[in-house]
Amino acid sequence: MERRNFIKISALTGVAATLDACRAPDKQLIRFIPEDNLIPGIATWKPGVCTLCSAGCGLLVRVMQGDAEVVRNGQRGLMKMGLAKKLEGSPQNPVNAGKLCARGQAGLQVLYHPDRITHPIKRTGARGSGEFQEISWDDALKEVVSHLTALESSKAANSLAFLSMPLSGQRHKLIESFLKAYGAPPAVWYEPFDEAVLRQANLLSFGHAALPTFELGRADYIISFGADFLGTWNSPVAQSIGYGEMRRGRPGRRGKFVQVESRMSQTGANADEWIACKPGTEGILALGIAHVILSEKLAPQGAETRAGSQIAGWSAGLPEFTPEAVEKQTGVSAAVITRLAHEITQSGSSAAIVGGAPLAQTNGHFNALAVNALESLVDTGRDQNGNLRPILGFTPEPPLSAAEEPAAPAQASFARLNSFAQSALRGQAGAPQMLMLNEANPIFSAPPATRIGEAIARIPYIVSFGGFIDETSVQADLILPDHAPLESWLDSIPESGSLRSMVSLAPPAVSPLHNTRPMPDVLLGLAQQLGGDVAKALPWTSFEAMLKAALVPLRSHGGSVTAKTDDDFWQSMQTQGGWWSAPAAAGSKSAPATLSSATAAKHAPVALTAPEFAGAAGDFPFCFQPYVSQSFGDGSLAHLPWMQELPDVLTTAMWSSWVEINPKTGERLGIQQGDLVEITSQAGSLRVPAVLSPGIAPDLLAMPVGQGHENFGRFATGRGANPLSILAPVAERETGALAWAATRVKLTRVGGPEQAKLVLFAGGMSGFPHEEEPR
Amino acid sequence: MGWQKWLLLMVCAVACTWAMVKAVPTSHAGQTDLSAHVTSGVFTTAHPTAAQAVRDFLDFHPEHPVQPIAYTHAVHLANGLQCEFCHVGVDQGPEAQIPGVAVCMTCHIAIDTDKPEIKKIAAYQARGEDIPWVRVYNYSDSAHVRFNHAAHIRAGVGCSTCHGDMTKQTTAERKVDLNMGFCVNCHKQKQVSVDCETCHF
Repeated sequence: MERRNFIKISALTGVAATLDACRAPDKQLIRFIPEDNLIPGIATWKPGVCTLCSAGCGLLVRVMQGDAEVVRNGQRGLMKMGLAKKLEGSPQNPVNAGKLCARGQAGLQVLYHPDRITHPIKRTGARGSGEFQEISWDDALKEVVSHLTALESSKAANSLAFLSMPLSGQRHKLIESFLKAYGAPPAVWYEPFDEAVLRQANLLSFGHAALPTFELGRADYIISFGADFLGTWNSPVAQSIGYGEMRRGRPGRRGKFVQVESRMSQTGANADEWIACKPGTEGILALGIAHVILSEKLAPQGAETRAGSQIAGWSAGLPEFTPEAVEKQTGVSAAVITRLAHEITQSGSSAAIVGGAPLAQTNGHFNALAVNALESLVDTGRDQNGNLRPILGFTPEPPLSAAEEPAAPAQASFARLNSFAQSALRGQAGAPQMLMLNEANPIFSAPPATRIGEAIARIPYIVSFGGFIDETSVQADLILPDHAPLESWLDSIPESGSLRSMVSLAPPAVSPLHNTRPMPDVLLGLAQQLGGDVAKALPWTSFEAMLKAALVPLRSHGGSVTAKTDDDFWQSMQTQGGWWSAPAAAGSKSAPATLSSATAAKHAPVALTAPEFAGAAGDFPFCFQPYVSQSFGDGSLAHLPWMQELPDVLTTAMWSSWVEINPKTGERLGIQQGDLVEITSQAGSLRVPAVLSPGIAPDLLAMPVGQGHENFGRFATGRGANPLSILAPVAERETGALAWAATRVKLTRVGGPEQAKLVLFAGGMSGFPHEEEPR
Repeated sequence: MGWQKWLLLMVCAVACTWAMVKAVPTSHAGQTDLSAHVTSGVFTTAHPTAAQAVRDFLDFHPEHPVQPIAYTHAVHLANGLQCEFCHVGVDQGPEAQIPGVAVCMTCHIAIDTDKPEIKKIAAYQARGEDIPWVRVYNYSDSAHVRFNHAAHIRAGVGCSTCHGDMTKQTTAERKVDLNMGFCVNCHKQKQVSVDCETCHF
């Protein structure tokens, strides 16, 4: 006998004999007739749209025949069907040009997640108990229609509320049309890290209420104020491509990159120079640099006419913001400020970017306007023909019929959520009687002082569309689970990332695995059953028909899809994954629009405003900065194990929460790596392991957002702590957006590493391994 | 004295295993256990039972498993059907399709509808189920070998080279032992690569 077989047999004899009793023929699965006609072993690549953040990257989905465990007609069995196996970026897409980030890769796990709600369910236990039972789609829809008609007949249509995560494209339009025709107030689009402050500031500075698109690939000098543009901010894939081009794509010409922030982000770790400044003073620093440029006349004449007019004292050369005065407020030395001003103006094409924590202060609006003013002063690069061609641009709106959309930016979602909660809590006439919930989870992601949980609990009837049980959807009375994105018709209008106007579109990549129905089709079906104005406003029988009606008119605008007939156009648009306009000719690029006099008149120039914090500095000595996690976004992706398993770029931590503490602070308070610490604010406290990180200011604590779920599937529940739960409900002064970086906290050590759960990849952070190693 | 004891023990163990594997019926008329899959938490879909796991581990497969439908290759081939008619994709991809209910019923919706085996297929279709065919040819996972049908069909290797003469078979039998020697001999004769990574990758 071969040695190999000898070992095999001896090892297995006992085990096999014991386990043979485990067979259970009644559990054997049947095989269902396949739905798709596929050739085994041959992959097809289908277009898709990534929905894991709002950037709207285009996908290619690798689809192959496989076995899926499914339930059909109440029987469990195996079905041979086309299954999505891998996601890649779509090379044709102007935003991501074939690239895809780690978060996008995990889109597959939304499809195959074991915690997905696979059929409609109705609450049987108490609210929030999580006790549901299966209900048929017919009965479920009948129930919703009866509630909607009851509201309508009692003249209370305005007490229907719709709470959703922000959506773009036709889904957004469908929900708004439904609510308008029904007579309900507009939907509450909630996201804790919305960019309302930046949109408002961009409207004032540049005339566009939108996120900016920086053509980083052409830049020679970038100064970024808090924007984690390689990790989480705006359109990270598009920006990473441009950044790579700026640094290494042009032989002999490597752009310089300076990052200003108080906690080193993934982007900051890439910078040539990392400048720590006191939280909330980024705008002051920007104006300090502008002061030097203006007083030394470093910039070309006339550059100060655009966004500068929004800043008080701009035309006078910002006399308050001398480098010495700015040094006192920001902690950045006057010499550095002067040097930055010289460098930025002596480089060819320069740009200043603002994003993230500086906008999440009470003076976020001022910070944004100040950096925008600096941007307009330094971004005066020219193309080969000598025409002005700024790095900053804005994506034009696609020429869809939805042009009646108001130019004013939507109200900050935190302000909308607050007024929604207040109205539900007051319980007077017009208070929400019925709530439709679509994948927004404010009970997790809004500060507890908004009392949103209590407000939602008071609403008599809640319908949820989300495919997962989370802290908010568990409150629902009825859950009508949506398809996973890869099973749905998808469309998206990227707000930034490319200077072409764009509509991404993708038909379903795979057949639905479960007994779910797409939310847009459910709404259209409800509209038909309600009849009247609602049916008239939404006459389509399916979301596909609605998309076709909305997007086929793009054919007359040329662009990336050419077709002779509407049907051909529709087919080619699906194959290509969308429509985008032809690249803008050099020089004709959207020059920042001049401000309409009406908008300019409404806003007097803003003067210096200092940040304010919740909590006295004496009692709460540290500023607290939650930050968007690259893995989880605002926490809505914490249920995906691949994202849990992804080591944080700077700390290598995974499957856990942690707080970043400066080693000096740690030494002072006797805190070592991995110790359990308690962080207390006015609003509450939490316990997390400590990570000593040199890339953070000594008076700042930072924590990634996303963990600390109480009810969000098997992978996220009960893991880590939620920093949003100790935020004071501070709002940005101008816009009412959540000022998530404006809470002060105190820190105490409560235990050693044995009481904390800190999981680090490869056992440790090893901050400076190459410094300790002998060379 | 020590080694005799061990030897005795090992001989016993081998005998037990062999007896167990042999004792477990390798095919059941009308039953579907070999292709069926159980997710009992102990075994993955690859191994419905512990005995199956042991058999897979030892590369022990029945040479003529009993299929859910008493199909005859002989009759269909005699009637002029080609292999690729049912085994779609054999010339396009790594795997050949094992035909399901839909393929059978394209013809048998009209032909021989009163025969008991055809009625069985119609009943599967009525229930929305597919035929749980039992796999005949396969490699064990531990062989780490990949085979691509399309490349061999393109090279003009006939189906019967590896699958035997199907015109003489009813349900498929494993007439050819597809061990590594078999593959390498043929590759040598035809002067194609016998590098390890041609098949083991």
